[in-house]
Amino acid sequence: MSELSGKPLRTTHTAMKSATQLNDEMLSSMRAPTWRWYLLAFVLGAVVAWGMYAFTYQMMTGMSVTGKNRPVMWGFYITGFVFWVGLSHSGTMVSAILRLSQANWRRPILRAAEAMTVFTISIAALFPFIHLGRNWVVFYFLPFPNQRGLWPNFRSALLWDITAITAYLIGSSLFLYLGMIPDLAIARDRASGWRRKLYEVLAMGWRGTAREWVVYHKASTLMAALIIPVAVSVHSIVAWDFAVTVVPGWHSTIFPPYFVIGAILSGVAAVITLMIVIRRVFHLEDYLTPLHFDNMGKLLLVISLLWAYAYFVEVNITWYAHEPIEWEVFSFMSDKYAPLLLLMLVGNAVLPITVLCFKKLRRSIGVMLAVSLLINVCMFIERFLIIVPSLSRKNMPFIWHNYAPSWVEISVNIAAVAGFALLYTFFAKYFPIVAVTDVRELEVRQVRMPFGRAELPSIAGKE
Amino acid sequence: METLGIFSDVDTAARGVDSLVKAGFSEEHITSLSSVPYPDGVLVRTDQRTWFRWLAVAGGSVGAVAGFLLAAGTAWLYPVQTGDKPIIAFYPTGIIIYELTMLFAIVSVIVGMFLEMRLPPWGKPPYDPAIAEGYIGISVFVLSGDQRNRAEEIMKRAGALRTTAEEML
Repeated sequence: MSELSGKPLRTTHTAMKSATQLNDEMLSSMRAPTWRWYLLAFVLGAVVAWGMYAFTYQMMTGMSVTGKNRPVMWGFYITGFVFWVGLSHSGTMVSAILRLSQANWRRPILRAAEAMTVFTISIAALFPFIHLGRNWVVFYFLPFPNQRGLWPNFRSALLWDITAITAYLIGSSLFLYLGMIPDLAIARDRASGWRRKLYEVLAMGWRGTAREWVVYHKASTLMAALIIPVAVSVHSIVAWDFAVTVVPGWHSTIFPPYFVIGAILSGVAAVITLMIVIRRVFHLEDYLTPLHFDNMGKLLLVISLLWAYAYFVEVNITWYAHEPIEWEVFSFMSDKYAPLLLLMLVGNAVLPITVLCFKKLRRSIGVMLAVSLLINVCMFIERFLIIVPSLSRKNMPFIWHNYAPSWVEISVNIAAVAGFALLYTFFAKYFPIVAVTDVRELEVRQVRMPFGRAELPSIAGKE
Repeated sequence: METLGIFSDVDTAARGVDSLVKAGFSEEHITSLSSVPYPDGVLVRTDQRTWFRWLAVAGGSVGAVAGFLLAAGTAWLYPVQTGDKPIIAFYPTGIIIYELTMLFAIVSVIVGMFLEMRLPPWGKPPYDPAIAEGYIGISVFVLSGDQRNRAEEIMKRAGALRTTAEEML
């Protein structure tokens, strides 16, 4: 560690040595960047630059460079928006639920999950802006009259979106920051130069007094309780973007819970993917163990079952009612997009449900990586299949039209993935990517107690 | 004025606290500094009551009013008559009120937390970076130089590796 030099310590003391060792290992991601890190940042930056070029080209030329045309005016951008909002759902929510339920295995996962939420919701927030066209008048959304004397209309679901996403972005950023305060103090005490100054400001003078810990724990619990309903509301509102319209295939009462379930599915899968990447890159095998993947796998299994149930209910009602236009949309989707539909069903339900039933497979890092990546590819497809077929076959057959994304839309979507990876790469380099104090708290409290003929781990004190 | 003793582990730190209490220092004026939280009473006993949650309630209430003014206020200022529908629509107004209530409550939690922790501190209270590496700090609030010397001596006798004191501004 170049800037994070260790302090002189009495290494003869076991507890002290282990605390330093734990700090060293969990803060290893913050070591001076290597050439590989720079190369990764450069490649990701290049992809983002390409996406920005595509967007600039769209701005200069007009929306005709996209594949959007009547009646399909929502395409790959809105697919990306819903997908990224969905991803953002789980990070904070999983962290908050596990915090409230006092699940001890949550500790090494928290930070990765919370950071994921902040960056995914930031990426998601860009898509409506990219999608709208005439981006220079985006301030029309702000609640004051524009130069034509028009006020924003809060009856529009798009303004609900903006409000909800703003609330979620600020809320989840503060939730991430709150969890990081004690770790920032540790980083401050081990850093030098500009990093030390940065951590000093962010740690706000944290010393870890008994009173600070009491208040901190209560604030963490309260924040966790407050952020969950916000997370649910955000994706419900995104679902209402669709459900409050009278477009066939969208106007459905099950949409909000269905979207929330889908969001949690993709979010949990993304957390697992990130856990695997972080574990491998920063050598955190001792902290992100097969037990964590086993537990996350169980969670994923339950959510996959819920998603399958919700999808079955959605389609079953459409099939049973056989309302002509609804059935036309479904027939069109299952005919033109049959391979995508099948892939979605296999990737989101059949395969995960089958694989995740087995403990051995849940504890296999390779299998979990494959399943989690597949789920997210299939969740993107699911978003696409919700949006495009319904618009392609709306109520007026004389304007029925098929949609294919243009290179501009594809480039922007790929750049979004790269942008997220780039933000995450920077975050992991400059901030603690594992919740150091959370993990160390468990280490301190855990003792092995004799119990009959065995010696079992016991955790001192209630949380 | 605070004085801080650095201990290598929980047991010696707890011994330091006991010695201070036996010497007549009030437990209210003694606190522990650690990089991980310990259950109450392991080192010191702390008041578990907090008031910052009321600030969150107040923040949420302000948010509800702000949400109403934003959604209903803009509708009032720029009325859009659509059929026989009301100018102020119940459903969208409810959504905006909800989101702003939650947002203001969340921000208030953070603000209230820092206020209750009294962070960032005004002065420069004593601190030792070794705390980040697992050492335990025991801090005593003292009123005079004599008291400080006594506290430092007691802590050293109990096993403190070093002591530091700094006057609060």
